[in-house]
Amino acid sequence: MITIRSVYFFVFVAIFIVSILAVGTFFYLRYQRRQRYPYGKWENLLSRLGTLDRNNIACIAQGFLDRNDERSGDEQDLDPDRIWHLLGGMEGLEIVERNCAVLVDLVFYVQQWYPEALLVAEQLRQNAREVEWHIERLRGAAKRGRLKTAIPDYLEQAVAIYYRMTQEVIALYRQGDLPGLADLQRSL
Amino acid sequence: MHLTGTILLFWATGLAAHGLLLVVLCTRHRAKTFPIFTALIATNIVNAIALYEIALHGTKHSYFIAYFSFAVLDLALQLSVTYELASDTFCPTGTWAPDVRKGFLILVLASIVIAAILACLPAPPERILLGTLLDRGSLFSSALQCELLVGMLAFSATASLPWKTHVARIAQGLGFFSLISLLTEAGHSVVARNTVAFESLTYVRMTTYLLCASYWIVMLWLEAPAPKELPEETRRQLFTLQRRVEYDLRKLRALKR
Repeated sequence: MITIRSVYFFVFVAIFIVSILAVGTFFYLRYQRRQRYPYGKWENLLSRLGTLDRNNIACIAQGFLDRNDERSGDEQDLDPDRIWHLLGGMEGLEIVERNCAVLVDLVFYVQQWYPEALLVAEQLRQNAREVEWHIERLRGAAKRGRLKTAIPDYLEQAVAIYYRMTQEVIALYRQGDLPGLADLQRSL
Repeated sequence: MHLTGTILLFWATGLAAHGLLLVVLCTRHRAKTFPIFTALIATNIVNAIALYEIALHGTKHSYFIAYFSFAVLDLALQLSVTYELASDTFCPTGTWAPDVRKGFLILVLASIVIAAILACLPAPPERILLGTLLDRGSLFSSALQCELLVGMLAFSATASLPWKTHVARIAQGLGFFSLISLLTEAGHSVVARNTVAFESLTYVRMTTYLLCASYWIVMLWLEAPAPKELPEETRRQLFTLQRRVEYDLRKLRALKR
């Protein structure tokens, strides 16, 4: 005889089985995808890249690099407010941080054809750490209300490193004549 | 007690399948890699022979006691097999992956609680204590196995730890059998013993087990695909990296002193 307790039991069993099958299928598909694309999918990698104005990035980076090379002493330095505006404020800073991780993954992706790219990936990983360090300092300065004074010390350096990273990745794809170079140039 | 035609057929087929599986495990040298799984199969052979003898020459009570004891042993061994598969996947170098160890412990505890709740819910029509324990225990064991295997799949997908071919095959068989067992045991929990419905559920469970045993025989007989060789360049880079790590470690230790 079916009692109310049996009904509860079967409802619980049904929920249990559906959950087990749903969780199992989800992770099995994820596992299979990882097996099929150990280096990730190109479209997914590109879609993770945040949008930044490449001309503004180049402008900030160039200003910093020129000043360090002491080649253009006569050129006027960019004003901290202007740099902050060119980058897109805190939002732009966060995009730089996220894009650094994607750049490392883009080089890791190249390893499926050229295992030697491992060295470039490691170099970029170190650069990404540097950028992260500078951004942390900027966040700290922003919290203390000293962002303006920190911009020449940290922001310009972070953007210059990021700019160099993007150029290295594009150069690597160009030298290797790898598929997706045009997409990459458009996205960076 | 005597065995009827259908049960006798299942018994003989099961014994033959287990025998064959044990031969495969020993001759293809899988017993060394999966000692607990081998022990489970060997125990099932002893179980089948012992229960047959007791069914023919013993009393109903002694059969029930033996059946219960073997069921407890079977549960312990099945859980140990799950641990064997987990340790093969999550600690291939002898140390548990640190991001998995804590999560796996939580998974085990949570699975035990959920399986226990599930096993306590039905009111089995069984009047004998041993029978009730058996019904609840079987339900508990099937639910627990399902949860643990799905949990292991989730962890391996998250931590990117690959399953070796034979480990994956054993887990697939065990997982499928546990899922069907869960359904049949759920039915057993509400249906009275010695009825057609009860026996039909038992046959479904036995057929599933025979299918899984056949799957294991074929899969464990076949060799796993040979791993790919590392390119010479990568091998050299790894060697350099290893030397650099050793050097850094020595430097760090010297600083600590």
